[in-house]
Amino acid sequence: MAAAVGYGAMKQTKLGVEESHDQLNRIRITLSSRDVKNLEKVCADLVKGAKDKQLRIKGPVRIPTKVLNITTRKSPCGEGTNTWDRFEFRIHKRVLDLISSPDVVKQITSINIEPGVEVEVTIADV
Amino acid sequence: MGGRKKGFIDKKRSATYTLVARDSASSSSNPLSTDRVFVRTDNHHEYSVPGFIDSDEEQYNRDDESSIFADAVEDAGVGPRYAERGSGSGLPEDVRKEILELGLPDDGYNYLTHLRDIRNEGAGSAYYDNPRARFDLVPLDVKAYDASRVRVSSDAVKEEEPGVESIYNVASKSAPVRVQKVVDPDVTRLLDDSDLSRFGSDVEDLEEDFVLVANQPEGEEEENEDVHVKKVSSDVEIRYESASDDDVDDGPEDSAQQRVRRPLDEEFDEAFKEYISSEEDEGPTFGDDNQEELAEKLKDALKEFHIEDAVQEEKYKVPADSVTEDQESAQIIRKCTEYAQNYLNESEDEKEVLLVSESSDESEAWDCETIISTYSNLENHPAKIGAPGKPKSLLPPKSIPFPGDVGVGNDVITLRGKEMLPVNYLPQRKRIMEGLVREKLGSVEKPKKVVGEESKEEKKERKAALKNERREARKAKKELKGLYKSETQRAHKAVAVTGPSSVHLM
Repeated sequence: MAAAVGYGAMKQTKLGVEESHDQLNRIRITLSSRDVKNLEKVCADLVKGAKDKQLRIKGPVRIPTKVLNITTRKSPCGEGTNTWDRFEFRIHKRVLDLISSPDVVKQITSINIEPGVEVEVTIADV
Repeated sequence: MGGRKKGFIDKKRSATYTLVARDSASSSSNPLSTDRVFVRTDNHHEYSVPGFIDSDEEQYNRDDESSIFADAVEDAGVGPRYAERGSGSGLPEDVRKEILELGLPDDGYNYLTHLRDIRNEGAGSAYYDNPRARFDLVPLDVKAYDASRVRVSSDAVKEEEPGVESIYNVASKSAPVRVQKVVDPDVTRLLDDSDLSRFGSDVEDLEEDFVLVANQPEGEEEENEDVHVKKVSSDVEIRYESASDDDVDDGPEDSAQQRVRRPLDEEFDEAFKEYISSEEDEGPTFGDDNQEELAEKLKDALKEFHIEDAVQEEKYKVPADSVTEDQESAQIIRKCTEYAQNYLNESEDEKEVLLVSESSDESEAWDCETIISTYSNLENHPAKIGAPGKPKSLLPPKSIPFPGDVGVGNDVITLRGKEMLPVNYLPQRKRIMEGLVREKLGSVEKPKKVVGEESKEEKKERKAALKNERREARKAKKELKGLYKSETQRAHKAVAVTGPSSVHLM
């Protein structure tokens, strides 16, 4: 723990955008999308990219899909048989955990993004 | 939830970034950077990762940390984006030129700020070759980039210059190229080639004036051909005008002299002259004074057919009149006249009237078809023809006779129901309906709970079954009611005629 703290202090005093492979962070990448195909593709690409760079990667963990339902009357007025429309909206979420330096992650994620997939990256100390 | 191990990431000591589309992806920014950028989305800025986003952007965000507008673009003149704002409404000349080139209106507004570079964002997209794509029809705003000279190294991490990733060098090394060049030049050449003379075959088919060519003797030059062609074509035009000169007449003759004259040529020339000369006087229509001329001409032409008296002198003569007796046609004509006379005179004579009466036997015996044809569909609805069944007994045998019912047997008609109708008087279909309903009831009642307490599902099922059965019963009852009505009326009629008036029906 002391070493980690020291590490953190060292990091913060560094200026500039130097990339070095020595600083490692825990990085959690959360991918969410409405489209499973694209999402799975991006996941696979990320995993592949990380494995190519010999990073430790865990995942993809599939969070249960959230289904948002909207049930409305089909009729614009109240007349007629009571028919209802059921619209649904599925959000799929995948989580990947990596341990690497953030610049590498930035590279990987910037390259292969499909439209419709939202990427969120959380970085913490090792 | 006790004893949970420390998670992978401690949210309180971490920084969260979201990948968003960059809003200032214009030409002013670094062309090698992508459309998307990581933007910090959490609020606790104690922890920061200096290596993750560019330092100047990080600085932006750090200005006012607690405000929600921390990463908003600032307005007036701050930052590299607005450094080149032109004075007033005049734009620098090169900007104006580019705007005009793109076809945008030149009204002092810099539309170039809204342009977006097309970058390679989705690396997962593949190029599929469309064999039917026509690249020469590509519109002007499509640009082709030649990237054949780019070598992408396999080691994609580091490049000579720090901070520049190799994957982004593809764009810099690819040069814009004309779209037409992208396509095979042979193909474009063929497509553009309007003159297809290269594709003319050596063995030429018939030319247009092959007749003239064939008529020419060998060794003739081609110029004569052309001249001849021209003169003939001009003759064709002039022929239909009223004015025709002898010079023109000489034209074809002169050129015709150049080849060997044949007897046909002379005749042609004569006829031609006559034709021309006659046309000079008259024009296309014939007048009355030329009837004689025409008649003579016809006579000449038809000499060999021995037609005399072709010219009508005083009165109109039918061709048959001018036929002489010794010809075959004369005999035919005679016969025709005979028959015509007979026909005309026939109605005046008394004829034998032949009455053919139909045999009475046949007309009186009726066959199946005749009989069926007399039926009308109003009473006889088309139905499937079946064998007539056994006469059904209206009254079923009584199963349990009452004690003391001595004379009670099959001939007792019991009245039942609200309308007091005889029980088995009604047609069978009602019984079928009742049978069905009873069946359904019977079948549903079987899965009754055996165990003391029934679960929710079983209760639901039972209730649903009950509902169903009630629904069916209601439907059946409705149908029965309908049936009942018509039968009631019939029963009324019957009873009115037969039964005593004290019997009260309904």
